[in-house]
Amino acid sequence: MTQSTETPMVELKGVKKRFGDLEVLKGIDLRVDRGRIISIIGPSGSGKSTLLRSINNLEVIDEGSILLDGAQVNRPDLKGLAFERHINHIRQNMGMVFQHFNLFPHLSTLENVTLAPRKLKGMDAGSARELGMELLERVGLADKALSYPSSLSGGQKQRVAIARALAMQPKVMLFDEATSALDPELVEEVNRVMKGLAEEHMTMLIVTHEMAFARDVSDWAMFMDGGVVVEANTPDHLFSHPEQERTQHFLRKHLGAPA
Amino acid sequence: MDFNLMIEITPLLVKAAWVTVDISARALFFGFFIASVLVFFRTSRITPVRWLARAYISVVRGTPYFVQLLLVFYGGPAVGLRLDPFTCGVVVGAFNIGAYMSEAIRGAIESVDSGQNEASRSLGFGRLETLQYIILPQAAGLMIRSIGVLAIILVKNSSLVSIISVIELTYQAQRLIGSTYKPLEVFTLSALMYIVIIYAVMGIVEFLYRRATRYTFL
Amino acid sequence: MEFDFSPVIEYFPTLLQGIGVTLLIGLAVAVMSVIGGQIVAVITLYTRKVVNWPLRFFIWLFMTTPLLLQLYFLYFGLGELILIPAIVVGILGLGFHYMAYNADIFIATIRSVSSGQYEASRSLGFGHVRTLFYVILPQAFYRALPQLSNNMIIMVKDISVLSAIGIGEMVYVSQYAISVTFRPFEFYITIAVIYYLINLMMEAGQTWIERRAAYRR
Repeated sequence: MTQSTETPMVELKGVKKRFGDLEVLKGIDLRVDRGRIISIIGPSGSGKSTLLRSINNLEVIDEGSILLDGAQVNRPDLKGLAFERHINHIRQNMGMVFQHFNLFPHLSTLENVTLAPRKLKGMDAGSARELGMELLERVGLADKALSYPSSLSGGQKQRVAIARALAMQPKVMLFDEATSALDPELVEEVNRVMKGLAEEHMTMLIVTHEMAFARDVSDWAMFMDGGVVVEANTPDHLFSHPEQERTQHFLRKHLGAPA
Repeated sequence: MDFNLMIEITPLLVKAAWVTVDISARALFFGFFIASVLVFFRTSRITPVRWLARAYISVVRGTPYFVQLLLVFYGGPAVGLRLDPFTCGVVVGAFNIGAYMSEAIRGAIESVDSGQNEASRSLGFGRLETLQYIILPQAAGLMIRSIGVLAIILVKNSSLVSIISVIELTYQAQRLIGSTYKPLEVFTLSALMYIVIIYAVMGIVEFLYRRATRYTFL
Repeated sequence: MEFDFSPVIEYFPTLLQGIGVTLLIGLAVAVMSVIGGQIVAVITLYTRKVVNWPLRFFIWLFMTTPLLLQLYFLYFGLGELILIPAIVVGILGLGFHYMAYNADIFIATIRSVSSGQYEASRSLGFGHVRTLFYVILPQAFYRALPQLSNNMIIMVKDISVLSAIGIGEMVYVSQYAISVTFRPFEFYITIAVIYYLINLMMEAGQTWIERRAAYRR
């Protein structure tokens, strides 16, 4: 990746994470510049989801540091309520999209999108509604504003989830296998929304199983296995001419069917 | 069946049934606060506090309500605790049902998918905000139903305060059986009143449940 | 505040007798309510309405009215008709009460088992009755075990209520001692501790049974 002198949007330095005796992240370094789109691929258990969740502090790392736009995310020096305040503030700048959508079932689609700006930014109901409708329009679901999540398809749910994350105007979007739980015919509509974000130069980290999409949308692709980054390169290079044997083996298994 | 007798004793039993409702409603009300405090303690960061709440819940659930009632009413004065029978029934009922209710509330909260917590936290909501906006609204339905089950147990348990001479439904029924020698008539009427009370509770619970889970029907 | 547990020690043999009665009643009621509950459930599910509607009514009645009221009715009602010892009234009263609760559980588990297993068994050539006894009931029993053992744990605590109709379990035998020694606090605390210990043992037993039964479900 080309190094620039500006502050990276996301930076990881020597990140290590253990679950009991199992080390799932064995020292990860990563630098994501503003507007870049990074895909992270790898077999399940490679640590790619843990890495993404660590950036949001949903997993607490044991060693190393994570920075968001120059501000440190993990703060071992802060305890209890002080850390709570810190992390809540940091998280408002990150949008996270989950494999299983995790929409709030008791709230309408519009309320799902507007809850955070209203309660966390103190936005008044009128402006929040305007913002919410604008975002739902953007993901093509303005007509579902008053529906509840239970009446939406998987693809629609995930698009609402993206709108919900965007409502806080995040500096970076994290996608944790956003299309893995979807029926094949619903993947495309979500991919299209993500591509739209890419065209608007949103900084994105995408953990995915969709090789074709990763290759198409991202500026940089990383292959992870066993808690380390095995290989990272431009997508064209990584997918066409993988250098490491493990990468070659993985891609042979997963590039069989075009997505 | 002696219907004249039944008509004659109905006012007495209705009055007593009201005492049953009164004592149960009060115990439920205070029990809810005790339960909330227990849930709060059980999720505390301070280990002894957590441990204390667990011990309390275990002991209350592990001993008979009847013995708790006798202990507080007859044994209470030995430790300076003098309560009139009605108050004693409310207090012991509340402390007893509170232990069960704390487990019900905890169960309802834990039944909410952990992804909900993650999604809320990832937006930047704190623990309490997440509880308030995301978890509790979703736990409410199950919570209402479990509390409803406990409310019915509370109504049935309230019959035991007849032992410490609170003139509630079972006390009145027993006295009337003794004075009229018509157990079937008295039993039929008093059973009917318990059934009415319990079905009223079930109706209220169902109403609240539907209100709390409206979103699942929309 | 001064506690004096010496009267409790002095009357401990009496209390011990009370524990014996408590355990005896518990055992009798457990056997009666589990076996009876299963029979009632089978009859309720597999007979004509004339037979099963009254049964359903009694299950419902026992579950919607308080135990103590039922006990008073049995004690004064039955006591009027025939001369039977209080302890029998107590066992019958508690037994019927929990028979209803257990039957309610069995009805649910038998239904849940028979939905798939009934056809499978009939397709093998088993008749209706054999299917019931060889296939449905054993599975329904194992499925019912967790709730069943829960009911039995609650039931043992309810034995204390039998003191109200003069049955010599722990609370009743202590009441005499209390009236002589004026030490209610010490006696009731002791009874609570004993019940708590019994409860702990039953919970341990429940865990053990469920672990063993888990293979069979």
